Amino acid sequence: MTGFVLILIAASFFPGVIVRTKNIASGRRGPGILQPVREIGILLKKGSVFSNTSGIIFQIAPVITLSCIICALLVIPFGNQNALISFDGDFIFFSYLLALGKFFAIIAALDTGSSFEGMGANREVFFSMLVEPAFFILLATFAMFTGYTSFSDIFSNFFITGSHYVFIYSIIGFFLFIQTAMIENSRLPVDDPKTHLELTMIHEVMILDNSGFDKAMIHIGSYLKFAVYGALIYNVIVPAGWNIFLQAALFLAVQVTFAVIIGLIESFRARNKMNKNPKFILSLSAIALISFVIVLIITDKLI
Amino acid sequence: MVNYLIVLFAVTLVYFASAERLVIYVKLIGLQGLLLCGIALFELKEVNTANLVFIMAETLVFKAFLMPYLLTGIIGSSGVMKVHRQAMPGFYLLLFSILALLSSVILANALENPFVNTIYMVIALYSLFTGLLLIVTHRLIISHLIGFLILENAVFIFSLAMGSKMPMLINVGILLDIFVGVLILGFFGLRLRPNTNELTRLKD
Repeated sequence: MTGFVLILIAASFFPGVIVRTKNIASGRRGPGILQPVREIGILLKKGSVFSNTSGIIFQIAPVITLSCIICALLVIPFGNQNALISFDGDFIFFSYLLALGKFFAIIAALDTGSSFEGMGANREVFFSMLVEPAFFILLATFAMFTGYTSFSDIFSNFFITGSHYVFIYSIIGFFLFIQTAMIENSRLPVDDPKTHLELTMIHEVMILDNSGFDKAMIHIGSYLKFAVYGALIYNVIVPAGWNIFLQAALFLAVQVTFAVIIGLIESFRARNKMNKNPKFILSLSAIALISFVIVLIITDKLI
Repeated sequence: MVNYLIVLFAVTLVYFASAERLVIYVKLIGLQGLLLCGIALFELKEVNTANLVFIMAETLVFKAFLMPYLLTGIIGSSGVMKVHRQAMPGFYLLLFSILALLSSVILANALENPFVNTIYMVIALYSLFTGLLLIVTHRLIISHLIGFLILENAVFIFSLAMGSKMPMLINVGILLDIFVGVLILGFFGLRLRPNTNELTRLKD
């Protein structure tokens, strides 16, 4: 339960820290850290406007997407404490819950009948499809490395395997989770949330027709997803057996650092050309595969 | 420590498959030279000191500094900065590279050689396939040269894997270094144009 609450707290300040970092990097004063939360409060008070061409799918999709993300964060453990829901193979459940949420976001975009939104949906699903192998290969590597197949067991046994390869997996996990979070949340270098041209948008163009309450649901989902990936990053870099208060402080520190990294990347890095994105995402799968090959060798699964 | 270096070496191979600028290739060749020097330092403990110093000096001077320096010179003189646009798109090259890694694992598993460390075998085979892929899929002769350098690094890793038992293999690796060095010096000295397509325009 502690992990669940901490993820909710982290999600509330995460977008604010990103915006604040970008403001500092570009020499502007900028709004406070909780400004995105205030904006969500304003959106929640508003009603939604639906186009005549859209159907029921468009109306229910934002809520389904958010519920999928909330369900997915129930399987994320914190330190030595088990997740609220934990069973063998729960990382597959986690991944496909996020995929289900994305599926509804995509069919909602198609439901509007707008060619722009269809184009955005097409790109988003393609990039998600490409990043999925990297995520699964990485988690299969962790599963093979620790000998367990649930998030709670994998992360609580991650640092007590006694293998000196653990730091390699920490570094690879840290890198791949950051990149996966950036792709899944449609951030730089794959997509730019601040772009103004519909033709170059990916995620933003999909939610052009959403307004008010529905848009708030989509934003909350996006912030929660960041915090969920931040929790995964925390679990691969901080050993599970430490003092709970120290862990909570470190958890928040990791989330802030993750948000600052994203802010810095968005301040100093240009977006990839659209046709370079598939190659960029596929290279993550290649790195995950290298780590998988190494774990096959060290666990004597080869020969 | 040696494991970190080997993993980093494998990551450079992935980067080779996705990079498009020749300057990046040259930097990666230099980095591979440094990594091989580190791997040799940790791995070749049973070789006598004089031989070890020679091997390390050779990798450090030749692979990490001289080769990148000469290649930078060739790129500067030819004015070709990017991989030829008629080369295979990077996405497919990366896909082939992933398949090459899987093939390397299967091959290394099938060989079952008790004298060779499997991780070395996998990375050496992966390096071999990456070098071949670069040569086959790129059209510029400078990419072929870089592909050959990667092949030569693959032979060096093979030789390191068996270095304690077969010191002659290390000498073979170094001989290849010298061969590639002469080849690069040939390009550097003779100022050959790196784009062989232009030869088709010749008329007698």
